[in-house]
Amino acid sequence: MNEQLRAISELDRVIHEPGRLMIVALLWAVKECDFLYLLHETEMNKGNLSSHLAKLEAAGYVEIEKTYRGKVPMTLLRLTRKGRTAFDEYRKGLKAAF
Amino acid sequence: MRDEIQDYADRPKRYDNIDGTGEMFMGLMLLGFALEGCLEAKLPENSSRWMHGLVIYGVMIPVLAFGYWIRRVIKKHITWPRTGYAAFPRDGKSWWIAMLAVFLVAIVLGLGLAFLTGFARRHHAMSLPGIVMLASFVVVYGFWIFRMGREYPWKWLVLLLMALGLLAIGLPVRGDYFQVGRQVALFVGLAWLGSGAGTLYSYIRHTQPPASEAE
Repeated sequence: MNEQLRAISELDRVIHEPGRLMIVALLWAVKECDFLYLLHETEMNKGNLSSHLAKLEAAGYVEIEKTYRGKVPMTLLRLTRKGRTAFDEYRKGLKAAF
Repeated sequence: MRDEIQDYADRPKRYDNIDGTGEMFMGLMLLGFALEGCLEAKLPENSSRWMHGLVIYGVMIPVLAFGYWIRRVIKKHITWPRTGYAAFPRDGKSWWIAMLAVFLVAIVLGLGLAFLTGFARRHHAMSLPGIVMLASFVVVYGFWIFRMGREYPWKWLVLLLMALGLLAIGLPVRGDYFQVGRQVALFVGLAWLGSGAGTLYSYIRHTQPPASEAE
């Protein structure tokens, strides 16, 4: 297998899915954000976004915190250290592949 | 694909000014400088340094505090309920690199203008530091549009207006160019404030708070 194909096959499949890639790229650039921000920026529907976030949380890439702003419930999201490293590695892998 | 990833990673930076509050803050700061310059000019010639310092801090601290407060209020009551909350890490290094880049571009642009026209030096109408100072205002705003406001094409017209306005303020001035600092601060401050208000108006028109809880 040549180097480029190997690099492609080694890409992190949790991040590689387009929807999750979008979410991780957005979270990578912020300290933290809420669910509504991701909903607005990704233009996904709530169900899709929740499902992707659940997968990222299960992989240990995203931390989800349920809290309140005043009396309004708010879901805070942030990338974990593991998630940040995985995204950096993914970008390196993609660069090597292309 | 890599460019798309970079675009997504850059989106939060643009989101910070989605409501125009960044521009309005800059505008208020410049108006503060204009006000402070006016008050300083009214001080007696033999005023102590302490007096000048008092005027500077007495004006700028409340102006900056007000700018911070109004930005916070707009974010809390308009932006976050409509399009969500995002907190940004403060990356000092990239900020200074950006500022240095803006400064260098302004110098190059200023020198280019000075050599191309020749007019300024022959007629002593504009000094070289003056041209650099004026160009830097235009470059900073242009850089801001490029990074933050690409979605609003009308901002390029504001940039043109700013360049023409600064030329109109600067050309008739002879000698010490810094005499017109107050007018420049007032004009550029109003342009930034107007641009920010336009962004906020457009943002409010095009966004609605979600009908029910987002989660």
